[in-house]
Amino acid sequence: MNLANTLDAYLVLAGALFCIGAFGFLARRNAISMLMSIELMLNAVNLSIVAFGAFIPGLRTTGSIIALMVIAVAAAEATVGLAIVVAIYRNRKTPLVDEYDAMRR
Amino acid sequence: MNAASLIPLIAALPIAGFLFTAVAGRRLGRRAWVVPVAVVAIAWAMAMVVVATALSGGFGESGAVVKLWEWIPAGAVRVEAAFFVDNLTASLLIVVTTVGLLVHVYSIGYMAHDEAGYWRFFAYLNLFMFSMLLLVLGDSWLTVFAAWELVGLSSYLLIGFWYRKNSAALASKKAFIVNRVGDVGFALGIMAIFVDTGTLNIRDSIGHLASGGVSLAPCAQGVVSCAASMPIPVWVIALLILAGAMGKSAQFPLHVWLPDAMEGPTPVSALIHAATMVNAGVYLVARANPIFASAPGAMVVVAGIGIFTAILAASIAMTQTDIKRVLAYSTLSQLGYMFAALGVGAWTAAIFHLMAQGFTKGLLFLASGSVIHAVHDGQDMRKMGGLAKKLPHTYRTMLIGSIGMAGIPPLAGFFSKDEILGETFKAGFIWVWAIGVLVAVMTAFYMFRLIGLTFWGESRVDEAVAPKVHESPAVMTVPLWLLAIPAMLLGLLLSWPGPPLGPLFGQKGTGLLASWLEPVYKDGLAILGRGEEAFALFGIDGVLILVSVAVAVIGMVAAWRLFGVEIGSLRRRGNHEQVRELTARVPFLYRASLNKWWFDEINHLLFIVIGGRVAAFAWWFDVNVVDGIVNGIGSVTRRSGSGLARVQTGRVQNYALGIAVGLIVMVGSYALLASR
Amino acid sequence: MRAWLYLLAFAVAAGIVTTPALLIFVFGGHSVDDALFVALATLMLVSALAVVSMRDIIRCGLAMIVCFLSLAGIYVIVGSPLVAAAQVIVYIGAISVLILFAIMLTQSKAAPAKLVFQTQAAPAAVAAIILVVLITLGISATDWGEVSVRVRLGTDTLARAFFRDDVLPFEVVSVLLLAAVVGGVFIAKREKDAPS
Repeated sequence: MNLANTLDAYLVLAGALFCIGAFGFLARRNAISMLMSIELMLNAVNLSIVAFGAFIPGLRTTGSIIALMVIAVAAAEATVGLAIVVAIYRNRKTPLVDEYDAMRR
Repeated sequence: MNAASLIPLIAALPIAGFLFTAVAGRRLGRRAWVVPVAVVAIAWAMAMVVVATALSGGFGESGAVVKLWEWIPAGAVRVEAAFFVDNLTASLLIVVTTVGLLVHVYSIGYMAHDEAGYWRFFAYLNLFMFSMLLLVLGDSWLTVFAAWELVGLSSYLLIGFWYRKNSAALASKKAFIVNRVGDVGFALGIMAIFVDTGTLNIRDSIGHLASGGVSLAPCAQGVVSCAASMPIPVWVIALLILAGAMGKSAQFPLHVWLPDAMEGPTPVSALIHAATMVNAGVYLVARANPIFASAPGAMVVVAGIGIFTAILAASIAMTQTDIKRVLAYSTLSQLGYMFAALGVGAWTAAIFHLMAQGFTKGLLFLASGSVIHAVHDGQDMRKMGGLAKKLPHTYRTMLIGSIGMAGIPPLAGFFSKDEILGETFKAGFIWVWAIGVLVAVMTAFYMFRLIGLTFWGESRVDEAVAPKVHESPAVMTVPLWLLAIPAMLLGLLLSWPGPPLGPLFGQKGTGLLASWLEPVYKDGLAILGRGEEAFALFGIDGVLILVSVAVAVIGMVAAWRLFGVEIGSLRRRGNHEQVRELTARVPFLYRASLNKWWFDEINHLLFIVIGGRVAAFAWWFDVNVVDGIVNGIGSVTRRSGSGLARVQTGRVQNYALGIAVGLIVMVGSYALLASR
Repeated sequence: MRAWLYLLAFAVAAGIVTTPALLIFVFGGHSVDDALFVALATLMLVSALAVVSMRDIIRCGLAMIVCFLSLAGIYVIVGSPLVAAAQVIVYIGAISVLILFAIMLTQSKAAPAKLVFQTQAAPAAVAAIILVVLITLGISATDWGEVSVRVRLGTDTLARAFFRDDVLPFEVVSVLLLAAVVGGVFIAKREKDAPS
């Protein structure tokens, strides 16, 4: 058995990480916890992209390039997301998302 | 000048008079009668020229057609505005224009005390004259139908002429609505005729229907579906036309409007509800005689309805106390006779009776109007009596009319009624004849009951009114006498078989009217397979005449015994004890007759009580079921909306969970499908 | 200083967690790569679970750093050292620090949240488990057309691809980063007349 040389192992790992992140996003009350969960999901996707790049000959360089760009975009996302969280916190005096109910009718 | 060119003018003059009077009448005040009476007089003169031309064969056997313009040019459907005069139309024209003219003249005096409505009355009368002439003269079913509605409208306007009187307003509505019932049938009948024949021309369509099939012409033009040749049976058409005729001619069960129509001024009753409009149904059936001849079942229906109406109305007329109501039921009864005649195929007899009754009934109504006028608008015969000496002209003319109605020779009423009864007997409808004879007894009885109560015996007029009772002015009595002449002589004239009149109008040994109308009924009689029969004075006809005279005398004498008589040396006092005794012996029949067989109550029960319940149920159904469904849809939407709105928590994570669930469903279903 | 102690504790715990797997693999005839992969994968999943489940949000942030770090190791194993380097620099060096700062800005120790989880935590967990099962099924059922040999990707190859073939996306990403910086500043900026 050669686990480190099979694509499926990486992909299943990425899937598990993604689902953990998804659970965190759905279940946590804290806005920053949700942001962290998003980062987990992004990393899961990144892992799968890098794995595809490593195991599929046609995607050799493309996989890594996309992964790097995702990292850059994630950085931008984190910047803006955290800025938003801070702004909302300043406005509502709470980081708890379930108390943000401005969208309620 | 060509007589046919006068035909449009006959109809155009009254409508011109109507328009003039409607616009300018109010300012003319008491002189408002001049123009309307003048136009009707001119129309009468023209009509007489046309009639003389037509009856002397001037228009040929098929009659004269005057096409004015194409009214409805719609592809293959073409309706022309045209007039048509044949001998049947001419016969009707005599009655309509003559009685119309005399009623106009009479109204000058009768309506004199109605200041405000004087011009309105004459305007309406002119409108009616136009409508009635259009009805008689129209060449297409559509024209006739329009005229049919117009006479209904004028009738409505004139019945409700004294619209401040509640009963008059109600009566006009009743007449209008009951007539609608028949008119629906007539309209459907016209549509059925069009479906079958593709034309609305009366002569063409009757020709098609009588020849037993659709001509190929309308089929080829695409007006009528070729796949269904003759899709509607002739008997249906006949019954639908009959429905229209029943409405206008007030046959059972649509007869209820006519007695109430007596709320209108008496000249209106004379003109519209006795002499002309109510005869429109008879005219229509006679005009459509080949259609009816092709449907023997419908003919029996016509005869049955006619004779039933005759005996029903006669039985009611025997006990009514309102002088005009007696005459109204008498009119109903005589119309029933005409329908019975139409039903047995004695179309000539029906038209004969129509003409005789037109004059006789017009005379009686105008005379009753004179009586009412004299006793200051009292119509109750129990408050009359002994008026003969005070109203000599009215009395004499009314007596002439009554004798005619009773059927004593040689007055017009005798000839026409005898003709109907004889034809009925000879056509094999013995039951119709038997009932007809019974009705003849009743007719003689109630007519002389009327005369006895009104003119003979001691006066029962109110003390206050009695000194003021006076004969009507000449403008009213002269028309009475002018109507009395045809009421006396018309029968003799029209049934006279020999010279000098016969050769003059080119007739062939039968009665004058029969030879006039022979071309009109040629087709219908051919279908019925009935030929001309020789008149046998000393055979069956003589016996029937004797029976007719005998029953008239029986009825007359019975009335004399009960209600008295004062003709010349024939004098007898009325016996009120005996009347009371007789009515007590047949309480049910008496009460039924007095209450008009409860027809108004039955209608009330049917349409107001039961119909009201149905309407209330329909209303309930509408409110609760129809509206309920609509409102239910609304409230279900609203409730489901507000229920579903709870899903919209406004919390991002709930939505995200929705996305996750959706993803699971999508991926799961894909996995399921892919694993197959 | 306490934060780093926590980090150390995590690492030790992770080592204790992963050591048996490591030993089994080493003595089971597997390669070192396999052993490292299993150890790092286990560490990563455990720390990820810690990120989404722990009560103290600062510990969550620290667990996240551990998670990112083990992921960087996996990148090395899979043969992308440059991505691993970027992971360490960007995620651990920048984003984690950013998040920790945000935590400090927003969390008030005086009134800590009583509940960590939403009311919908249970259905979310069920959904996540179903999702992971589906993903695993899907992955194992799919033929990716892969080769079973990892190829180490040299930085020079990647650099050539980046700065010659894909230079335009690279520059666009830099513009995006600039926009994000400006946007973040603008959003988070305290308004002048706002209270507090």
